[in-house]
Amino acid sequence: MHTVAKLIDTSTCIGCKACEVACQEWNDQKFTVGAFDGTYQTMEDLDHNFWNLIKFNEIERPDGGMTWNMAKYQCMHCVEPGCLTACPAPGAIYRQADGIVDFDHDKCIGCGYCITGCPFDVPRLNPVTQKVYKCTLCSDRTAAGLEPACIKACPTNCLTFGTRSDLIQIANARTAELQDDGYTDAGVYNPQGVGGTHVLYVLRDASDPEQYGLPKDPTIPWTVSLWKGPVKWLGSLVFAGGILGAFFHYLRYGPKTYDEAAGDDHAEV
Amino acid sequence: MPKSDDGVVARFSLRERTVHWLAALSFVYAALSGLSLWSPHLYWLATVLGGGVTTRWGHPWGGTLFALVLAVMFSSWAAQMRLTGEDRVWLRGMRQYATHNTEGLPEPGRFNAGQKMLFWTQAACVLLLFASGLVLWLPEMMPRGLRLAAILIHPLTAITSIGGIIVHIYMGTAATPGSLRAMLRGWVRPGWAAAHHPKWYRETSKR
Repeated sequence: MHTVAKLIDTSTCIGCKACEVACQEWNDQKFTVGAFDGTYQTMEDLDHNFWNLIKFNEIERPDGGMTWNMAKYQCMHCVEPGCLTACPAPGAIYRQADGIVDFDHDKCIGCGYCITGCPFDVPRLNPVTQKVYKCTLCSDRTAAGLEPACIKACPTNCLTFGTRSDLIQIANARTAELQDDGYTDAGVYNPQGVGGTHVLYVLRDASDPEQYGLPKDPTIPWTVSLWKGPVKWLGSLVFAGGILGAFFHYLRYGPKTYDEAAGDDHAEV
Repeated sequence: MPKSDDGVVARFSLRERTVHWLAALSFVYAALSGLSLWSPHLYWLATVLGGGVTTRWGHPWGGTLFALVLAVMFSSWAAQMRLTGEDRVWLRGMRQYATHNTEGLPEPGRFNAGQKMLFWTQAACVLLLFASGLVLWLPEMMPRGLRLAAILIHPLTAITSIGGIIVHIYMGTAATPGSLRAMLRGWVRPGWAAAHHPKWYRETSKR
């Protein structure tokens, strides 16, 4: 089966925020008023009721001018999701056959482990409902054959929805165009540390994704991998070994016995 | 408790036993609920304990209760648990103790060096468990670096603590007949005291 993906061509993003509005509208989210921080960015960061943010990354050019490295920021729908790795509640986070990583809020217990497991720092806890929320890649729309709301609203075709393999080809073609135009460092952001993502970026300067607010080489945090790997084996070994060890010790050596009558004489020594 | 002239020796006061069993109950709840959140394979434990949401709420409180009870236990036992030179000799001969050949080992006082080691292990573990547990309890208030450390420290110390308690439960029940009654009813037979804690027995019977 083909998996789906979203392609974000940062070179054609004009920062209109139509995708932000479409996301809020479709997902019926109330907008929380934040603090004005002197930038064009809608909010400082994602929130439990704000899943899609255009980051207005201000980059100083060598000639002293300023460039906006605008980048749409939302769940990356990783092939190997850190949130899913960390989640203790079976079924609360699941990966669909089409590649979308989605949350089932009836099963979410609000522990927040997914927030710690995510290398992109995307999921957010709703302090009232104690459930965690993030972009669903509009799984309710894509299931009905519609494209995600953000993509529907984008006026510049900076956003494209399709099968992942098609989008990788489109992204490579666009990268070649940008390189022809003189952006020699142009490239596709599809980080392999998490097995690739179902949200792909074309960056004019892929040598430093952090200029776009994207981590350079994201992986599932090593403490989470250790906890879910070797530590689990160590624990199983200690628990099973302890119980079996005690049992076989009893079979081999038996209990520590004592002389019921002894002791009184001892006391007078 | 039977009086000493009934041929028994008082071992644990009512206060000590109450503290011990409060610790035991809160530990069992914290351990089982904690294991349920440790791995999806053990999530069924959360279902038994009232569901995932209840367990996510209850585990930190159960752990906090355990930590508080252990603080009380610490205040009453820490002085008696100090390791002596004889204890170190005893620990080197632990294999002898495990195979019921205590010939030549230093005579234990009220607590033997194994019990003391368990005490200090649990004391260290509860400190680390509570500190890392607090970070995991309130993730939205904690910086990411702390959460990443806590998510590893918490299970590692829990494994150490539970491993120690598995040995403790075996030693206190099947391996040493008379021990469980000592912790439940507070007294032991003189022969028990003379066999397992001879130095302590001499001191108490002198009084």
